[in-house]
Amino acid sequence: MGDSRREEIYNEVLRILSSDLEVSVDDIERDMDLNTELPFDSLQLYEFVIDLEEAYNIKLPDEMLDQMKTVDDIVSLIMQLTEGK
Amino acid sequence: MKSEEEIMSEALVRIFENVVLTEEKSLQAGYFSDLSIAEMHTLTAIGPYESRTMTKTAEDLGITTGTLTVAIDRLVKKGYVIRQRDTNDKRVVRISLTRNGKLACRMNSKFHRVLAKHILSGYNEEDRKHLLDLVNEVDLYVAQQLRRYDGAVNVRKTAMEVAKDSKKENE
Repeated sequence: MGDSRREEIYNEVLRILSSDLEVSVDDIERDMDLNTELPFDSLQLYEFVIDLEEAYNIKLPDEMLDQMKTVDDIVSLIMQLTEGK
Repeated sequence: MKSEEEIMSEALVRIFENVVLTEEKSLQAGYFSDLSIAEMHTLTAIGPYESRTMTKTAEDLGITTGTLTVAIDRLVKKGYVIRQRDTNDKRVVRISLTRNGKLACRMNSKFHRVLAKHILSGYNEEDRKHLLDLVNEVDLYVAQQLRRYDGAVNVRKTAMEVAKDSKKENE
């Protein structure tokens, strides 16, 4: 159950990420570093964050984002914030 | 040689002016060059999440609802703010940020965080804690002085009282 939910969230994060960054889904890996391996500028990063907040009805303040290093970290955080919703 | 008071008062004014000036220049050079500093501060007061009432937002900004209404009119036209009637009480107007408003608000808060991060990075943990304690004390003191003017009918009288109290403290 947990695995399928994780997979579902991962696929949605991937879809949003590829749309905001205008890169192919195939070019994004789970363990990619958000700061160094993905072609984000600050504006794109916040577009991505706002899209995630709206998609999952969650809040992702900067203090929380500072702890996120990889795509997988984002998936874990969303799982945690949406638990029981 | 300058006195401690002179150094402190000049630094305080300079820091305030330079932060605002840097913020203004970064705005002009960035994605949101159609926003003034005052407009950006209005977006920050509304915040990126729940909608807020006009009254509470005006209160937080220290302006009248009339002044805020003019500012919000402009921000609605520029596409940064949405204005809606409260669903439960039609007399209440609620304001929230559009996607672009949220982006501007978050980019601006990042500007402030990066500035703070760079200032703090020059110090070790102990000095950072000490610096933050001192800055908090200055912040509290200035806020306390400001509160004395809130709702004061006679500002000149209040200013004289503040000056008198400060004189007593120095004696």
